Amino acid sequence: MKNILKTVAERFAKKPPQAATAENAAENVGENVGNAAENVKEKPKMFDVDTDITVRSLDLYYGTFQALKNIDMVMPKNAVTALIGPSGCGKSTLVKSLNRMNDLIPACRITGEVIMGGRNIYDKDIDVNLLRKNAGMVFQKPNPFPMSVFDNIAYGPRTFGIRKRGDLSDIIERSLKSANLWDELKDRLHKSALSLSGGQQQRLCIARALAVEPKILLMDEPTSALDPISTGKIEELCEELKQKVTIVMVTHNMQQAARVSDKTGFFLMGDLIEYGDTAEIFAAPKHERTMSYISGRFG
Amino acid sequence: MKNTCVEVRPQKSETAAKAVFGFAAVFSVIAVFAIIFFIFYASVPAFREIGVFNFLFGRLWAPDKEFLPVSGRFGILPMIVGSLCVTAGAVLLGGGSGVFTAMFMSKFCPAKLKGVLGHLINFLAGIPSIIYGFFGITILIPVMDRISPTGSGMGILASSVILGVMILPTVTSITKDSLDAVPREIFEGALALGASKEQAAFKTVLPAAKSGVLTALVLGTGRAVGETMAVLMVAGNSAAFPTSVFSNIRTLTINMVLEMAYASPGSLHRNALIATGAVLLVFILILNLLLGLLRRKKRERRSREKPLNIPDEGGAAPAKSYNFRETGTFTRLLKYLSAGITAAIVLVLTAIIGFILIKGLPAINFKFLFGPSGNAGASLRPAFVTTGMLILIALAVALPVGIGAAIYLSEYAKPDTRLVKTIRLFTETLAGMPSIIFGFFGVIFFCEFMKMGVSVLAGGLTLSLIILPTVIRSTEESIIAVPHALREASLALGAGKLRTIFKVVLPSAISGIVTSVILGIGRIVGESAALIYTAGAVVYTPDALTDRGASFAVMMWMFSSEGLYMSYAYGTAAVLLIFVAVLNTLIALLKNGFERGKKP
Repeated sequence: MKNILKTVAERFAKKPPQAATAENAAENVGENVGNAAENVKEKPKMFDVDTDITVRSLDLYYGTFQALKNIDMVMPKNAVTALIGPSGCGKSTLVKSLNRMNDLIPACRITGEVIMGGRNIYDKDIDVNLLRKNAGMVFQKPNPFPMSVFDNIAYGPRTFGIRKRGDLSDIIERSLKSANLWDELKDRLHKSALSLSGGQQQRLCIARALAVEPKILLMDEPTSALDPISTGKIEELCEELKQKVTIVMVTHNMQQAARVSDKTGFFLMGDLIEYGDTAEIFAAPKHERTMSYISGRFG
Repeated sequence: MKNTCVEVRPQKSETAAKAVFGFAAVFSVIAVFAIIFFIFYASVPAFREIGVFNFLFGRLWAPDKEFLPVSGRFGILPMIVGSLCVTAGAVLLGGGSGVFTAMFMSKFCPAKLKGVLGHLINFLAGIPSIIYGFFGITILIPVMDRISPTGSGMGILASSVILGVMILPTVTSITKDSLDAVPREIFEGALALGASKEQAAFKTVLPAAKSGVLTALVLGTGRAVGETMAVLMVAGNSAAFPTSVFSNIRTLTINMVLEMAYASPGSLHRNALIATGAVLLVFILILNLLLGLLRRKKRERRSREKPLNIPDEGGAAPAKSYNFRETGTFTRLLKYLSAGITAAIVLVLTAIIGFILIKGLPAINFKFLFGPSGNAGASLRPAFVTTGMLILIALAVALPVGIGAAIYLSEYAKPDTRLVKTIRLFTETLAGMPSIIFGFFGVIFFCEFMKMGVSVLAGGLTLSLIILPTVIRSTEESIIAVPHALREASLALGAGKLRTIFKVVLPSAISGIVTSVILGIGRIVGESAALIYTAGAVVYTPDALTDRGASFAVMMWMFSSEGLYMSYAYGTAAVLLIFVAVLNTLIALLKNGFERGKKP
């Protein structure tokens, strides 16, 4: 599967000049985040960036209510970052501002920057659709379209111009395999997606998101509506997927964050209280409030 | 209604009440059966004498020898073809535009505009068919005359356009409701995959609302196939096979309404006209059957695509990479198209209203409204009196029966039993029957079988059947909205079920009942096809319920069909439009007031 990334990268390298600048920008990000934004003058043809996500002094308001307060964090590439905290702390809001789903809420106002591949995704010339293709999302409640399994997964590729049946079949097989769902569903591709179990539906949604080859996968409490067995399957899946995508996951479940993630951020009332390596956060939290939240949950 | 908290001892009055409500509920079933029975029974002589095959597939319609060398030939194939042609045209034009308008209203238009458009669509739905026909002959036909190669604009295209505009409100409002009902997660799921708003709307939300859209189109088809007065004025009416979209045609409904006036009772000609009605009824019943199937729980859908045969190579296949590129031009075009169509519809509506008001308002004066009416000169006085009488008769029958049925369905019957489903199915069937079928039933049953003659009474009773489904539906909706706690409170105080219904439930449901009254009045004021042969088409003012009398729409038809009283026709049209506007405003106010009342 790593081959895909390579071939994609190669192909973009062959496409001067826009693709090349995007590629440069992506490389620059690591060492030179500050100047990267200025380096890219032209809009990249395809928003395909395989990088860290840098959130810089992000404030978010719903009307007059401030839901996120001056958030600064870097979510590393090819790792799982877990966002934890009590209900209403802003963790879901943050994950939704990484693919601009908050744009749909009329009263929502955002200042600050979210930088992917050297580009602030809130810049005016960013194509939101391409951004969302690059940063796939899995929702709290499984939301398969009322279509067949095949059409569900083919939806994204079709949206991005892939029409050939053979290509679609190939992508569907690959996506279902990535989501560990191929063996369960290979004989039921033309059944309605609504006939699947809840856990299968959620993994189908993951497969659907993977079908457009995103570099980032945003998961908003992906297991909160599922049974323990399905939850376990999805957690295993995250382990495998982080080889090729950067995962940001919101979770209510402490154990889940501890099991799955590399980095953990603890949110409270819109503030990022503490952010660091998961092992450290859970073993020796620096803040008292983190400690009490984590131990309270374990307790 | 089950009640576990309080045991209500059934008393005699309670049992009797349940029986009365139950009868009211099955009334619509009886009505549908009566309509089917009497129309088929009255057409048996025609089928027997002409032969079913000759009647259905005969190519020549020549009832008498005034115009043709042959006579006594009754073949309705040209009319069947004509009906199918204009219906297909109307569904294509009006159904298509309706779906696009609904997409625009549900997904693309600003929230403020949405309310305004909703009112406009409701207004469009309330305009009587006679006004659409009138607009057709005064505006559309002169335009079509110019573009038609034959020089005559009447025919399939003109009829399809007019019918298209008429079915548009039905298609739009039902489609819009089902689009709005698609869960938001589906829309957001598509956006999260990188689909544009247009792509998400057209490729995800619209397919998810498929059964609603189909229901809307089938209802629109039913309305188009049964529409009479509007097509009568623009179709050209010659009973020949069409050769182009400008060919004059005659539909089944036109055949019925056009020749009924001079077909003498008991003649084969008249029986053949009733048999035409029977054929139309079969079409309508088939459409209703389709609707019933659509409404049934959707079975698991299987894609028609062939199963995949992918060799399972255990993931060893070399990973091919794909060239993802941004698409969405097509759906963006669809969005602009839906905005354009919506704008065009607003324009057409404004044109109709503006034109009729400009031409009609100057004709309105006291003498025209209330002056004496007779052979020496006509006024709208008979229409006021007749319409008033019709409203009283129709409401006197439909209100008690409709409210009783609604009470039975919501308070007594167990939900989703076979009985309730049957009652609902037949109420829907009754609601979907065309006016002209009611008109013919009225003639056969009230005028002749019950020996009422052509009279305001027969007309009013016919109308009561037409408005019954509206009363049932609208009352039932508001009864269901009454909180259960209110009923429990009343029962807990020791009040019986009957007392609870009349003192607590019905008063809380008053807005729905008033709405149904207003809707019923609107329907009666604009009704023409059902009244011409039941209540009559005369310019005299009726003195008693047994006299003939013409409603506003029938008066307008008389004024315009003779071509001599065009200013009167414009004046009547303006009066009708004002009625529609007033009634629509009342309903909107009532709804607003009701919703405000519900909020804390």
